Amino acid sequence: MPPPASAPVPLLSAVPAKSAQVDWAAKHYLIVDDFIGVRQLLRESLRSLGARNIDQASSGGEAIGLLARTRYDVVLCDYNLGDGKNGQQVLEEARVRNLVNPSTVWLVVSAEKSVESVMGAAEHQPDAYLIKPITEGMLLTRLNRVWHKKQVFRPIDQACADKEYLRAARLCDAAIAAARLHELDLLRMKARLMERSGEPTRAREIYEQVLAQREYQWARAGLAKIRMANGEFEQARQVFQGVIAENRYYIDAYDQLAVAWQHLGKPEEACAVLESAARLSPNSVARQRNLGRLALKLGNVALAEKAFRKCIAVGEYSVMKTADAYLGLARVCGQKNDQKEALQLLLAAQRDFGQERPDVRLRAKITEGLVYHESGDHRRARLSADELEDMLRAAPERPDVPTCLELATLLFAAGGKDTPVELLCYVVRNNHDNPLLLDEVQRIFDKAHLADEGIVQIRGARKEAADLMNQGVLLWKTGKLDEAVAWTRNARQAVPNNQRILFNAAQILVSQLQQRGHDAALSAEAYAILHHVDSLLPGQQRFAQLMEQLGRLQPGREEGGEAAGREDGVVTAPDDTAEGK
Amino acid sequence: MDDTPHSHALSLFLASTAHDMKNSISVLSGTLERLLADAATAQPASADEAPAAAHLPQMAHMLYQTRRLNDNLMQLLALYKQVGQPAYPFDVQPLPLGQLAEQVVELERVLLAARGIRLELDVDPELVWHLDEDLVVGVLSHAINNAIHYTRDTVRLAMHELDGWLELRVEDNGRGFPAAMLEAGAIAGRASAGGVNFLTNSTGLGLYFSAEVARMHRHRGCHGAVRLENGGRLGGGCFVLRLP
Repeated sequence: MPPPASAPVPLLSAVPAKSAQVDWAAKHYLIVDDFIGVRQLLRESLRSLGARNIDQASSGGEAIGLLARTRYDVVLCDYNLGDGKNGQQVLEEARVRNLVNPSTVWLVVSAEKSVESVMGAAEHQPDAYLIKPITEGMLLTRLNRVWHKKQVFRPIDQACADKEYLRAARLCDAAIAAARLHELDLLRMKARLMERSGEPTRAREIYEQVLAQREYQWARAGLAKIRMANGEFEQARQVFQGVIAENRYYIDAYDQLAVAWQHLGKPEEACAVLESAARLSPNSVARQRNLGRLALKLGNVALAEKAFRKCIAVGEYSVMKTADAYLGLARVCGQKNDQKEALQLLLAAQRDFGQERPDVRLRAKITEGLVYHESGDHRRARLSADELEDMLRAAPERPDVPTCLELATLLFAAGGKDTPVELLCYVVRNNHDNPLLLDEVQRIFDKAHLADEGIVQIRGARKEAADLMNQGVLLWKTGKLDEAVAWTRNARQAVPNNQRILFNAAQILVSQLQQRGHDAALSAEAYAILHHVDSLLPGQQRFAQLMEQLGRLQPGREEGGEAAGREDGVVTAPDDTAEGK
Repeated sequence: MDDTPHSHALSLFLASTAHDMKNSISVLSGTLERLLADAATAQPASADEAPAAAHLPQMAHMLYQTRRLNDNLMQLLALYKQVGQPAYPFDVQPLPLGQLAEQVVELERVLLAARGIRLELDVDPELVWHLDEDLVVGVLSHAINNAIHYTRDTVRLAMHELDGWLELRVEDNGRGFPAAMLEAGAIAGRASAGGVNFLTNSTGLGLYFSAEVARMHRHRGCHGAVRLENGGRLGGGCFVLRLP
C-alpha cells in the first residue's frame, strides 16, 4: 500500500482528541527529586500546564511527610533520591499507608528505568515512567494517557478493593469491548482475577489468548504459575527457565523458579536461583528474606547471614521491612555461638515491630529459646519455654500455623508435654483436611519420641473437627436454618481458622439471607468470615463464589450493563464431605 | 565479557556518572527549550530587543548539542548491561503509532521551530504496535536530531505497516549519507555486527545503539533491524527502522 500524499500534519494532533479533556490546572501536584534544578524545571513545566498547587520534596522522608498531610492528584517522583528512601519505597509506603487516592497519578521521573519496578517484581507499580529529560509535551502526553487508562480501570479497581473478583472480571470483559487499546492490560488483569478466584483453567485460557497475539513473557510466566498450582512442577520449572533465557532481567521468574525447585525437592537449586536473583536485583526485602530462610534451612549459615543482613539494610527505609530478618539473623548468630548479638537482635525486633505486630513478642521469645537450645544452654532454653507457656496461658488467641509448629517443637525439646500437645491438636482441628500438614505434625510428635501418642491425638482432633462440620451440614440440610446460624457462631469459636468449616458457616449465612431477605448484621458477619478465610489462604474458588453471592444480596447493588451471573438465586449447599476416618 | 571486579566497578562508575550527568543535561536542555520557546512567541517590543533575536541560532545550536549529549548518555545507560549493572529492563507494550509520533514530535518541536525546519508526518495514528516505547522514541528522536543537522529545510517522519513489519522512516532533503556511512548502516543492520567496532567513529554509537534496540524487538523468530539509504520521498538521507 503506497503511503498517502504526505500533507504536513499539525503538531500535537497525531492522536484523535479524546472524549474528555482533563483539567490539569486545578490538580494538586507533588514533585520529589533530590536535585533542585530538576525540581525547578518540572515546576516550570507544570506551571505551563496551568498548575497552581505544586509542592516539592527533596527526599523520600520529606515526601512521605507531605503525602501524609495532603491528598495529591499527581506525584512526580524520581527513583534515585540520595540517602534514605528511594522512589519505589516512597510509592510502596504511600500505597500501603493509604496516603494516596486510587485515582492519584504516580509518575516515576528518572534518568533510567529500574529493573525491579518494570519487570513485575514490585508489588506496587507506578502508573508510568518518564525518562529524563522530559518536555512539557511529553509530560502532558503521559499524564493524559494515564488518566484515560485510570478511567477504564476505575470500576475494576473498586471491585478488586471490595474483593469481588468475579464481578471485576466481568467488568474487564466490558472494558475490553469498549477500549481495545487496553485489551492486553485488561486481559492480564482478568487472568490475575481468575487466579485469585481459584479458577486457573480460565486464567490459562486468557494467557493462551495473549500468547497467540504476541510472545509476552508475563503470559508465559502466568501459564507456568498455573502449572505449578496444579502440581506440575517440572513443566513449570522448564517454562520459568525459558522465560529467563528470553529475558534474564525478568526477576519475578527467578523467584517462581526457586519455588518450583523447592517443590521438586531440590532446595540447593532453589537457593542458587534466589542467590542469582538477589545479585541482579538486591533491593527486595522479600527476596532477601526468602533467601535467608532457605539458606538457614540448608545449613548455609554464611549465606543466610549475608541475606538477612542485606534484608535488614534494604528494609531500613522501607515500609516492607520485616521482623523475619531479625529473627532469622538471631538464629544465625545462635548457630555461630554469638548469643549476645542474637539477643540484641531479638530486642531490636520487638522494639521496631512489637507495636504493630503483637505476635513478634511471642516469636522473639521462641527464637530466644531456639538459640539457647541450639547452643546447648538447656537451662536457659527451659526458662524461655516457661515464659512461653505463661504467655500462651495469658492470651487465648493462638498464633499462625508455622509459629505454632515451631513453638511446639521448642516446648517438646525443652521437656514440656501438655502445652505442645494442646498446640498441635489446635493446629489439627483447624486444618483437619490438610494431609501434608498432618504429616508434619506427626513428625513433630515422632521427634519428641511420642509417635503413638501423636497418632491418637491427631485422630481425636480430626474427629472433633469432622463431627463439628457434619453437625452444621445436617442442620442446614434438614432446613433448621436458625439452629444452623447458631452453629456458625459456635463453630467460629471452636475452630477459628478451619477454612472448610468457615466457608460452610459463610454459606449458611448466605442461605439465610437468600431465604429471609437482607439483614445488615448477618451480612456483615458473613463478610467478616470470608475476609478472615481469605487472609488465611488467598485465591480460593469458594471465596470468590461466596463473595459473588453475597454481593448480589446487597440492596441497591444491581449494576446495569454488567452481564448477569450464572446462578442467580441458586442456593448452593455447604461443602459436604462427612468423614470420620 | 570481562567480569573482573575491576571492570564491574568501572561500569558501575560509568553508569552512575552518566546517571548524574543526565540531571544536569535535563536542566540545560529544559532551560534552553524554554528560552527558545519564549523567544519565539515574544514580539520584539523595541529596537533594543532585536539583538537578542540574533542569538537564537546559537541557542538552537546549543540545544542540538545538548540533545546529542543526552542521547549519548541514554545510550550508555541502556547499553551498559553488556558490561554489568545496571541493566535496561526491556519492556514491550502495545502503543498506537499516533502516541509514538506525538512524543517524538514533542521532543523535537522547539529545535525544529528554532531552526526553521518543517516536519512532515506520515503516520497511521490508530495502528497499534508492540514496542519498547522509550527506546524507540529515543532512536527516532536521535535520528531526527541528526536529520535536522543535515537537511535543507524539511524532515519527514513516516510510520507504516509493510508486509507485516512496522517501518519507521526518518528522511531529509539534504545531500544524503556518504558512502562510508551507508556501509556502516548496512553492517549495523546485519545480525552479526559484533565484530565491527562502531565506537571508533562519531556516528557509530548512535547507529550501534539503534541496531541494538531494533534487535531487542523480536516476534515469532524475527528481530528488528536498521538501515541507512539515500533517496526516499525527499531525496536525501533516510534512516529506516523496521520492527517485527
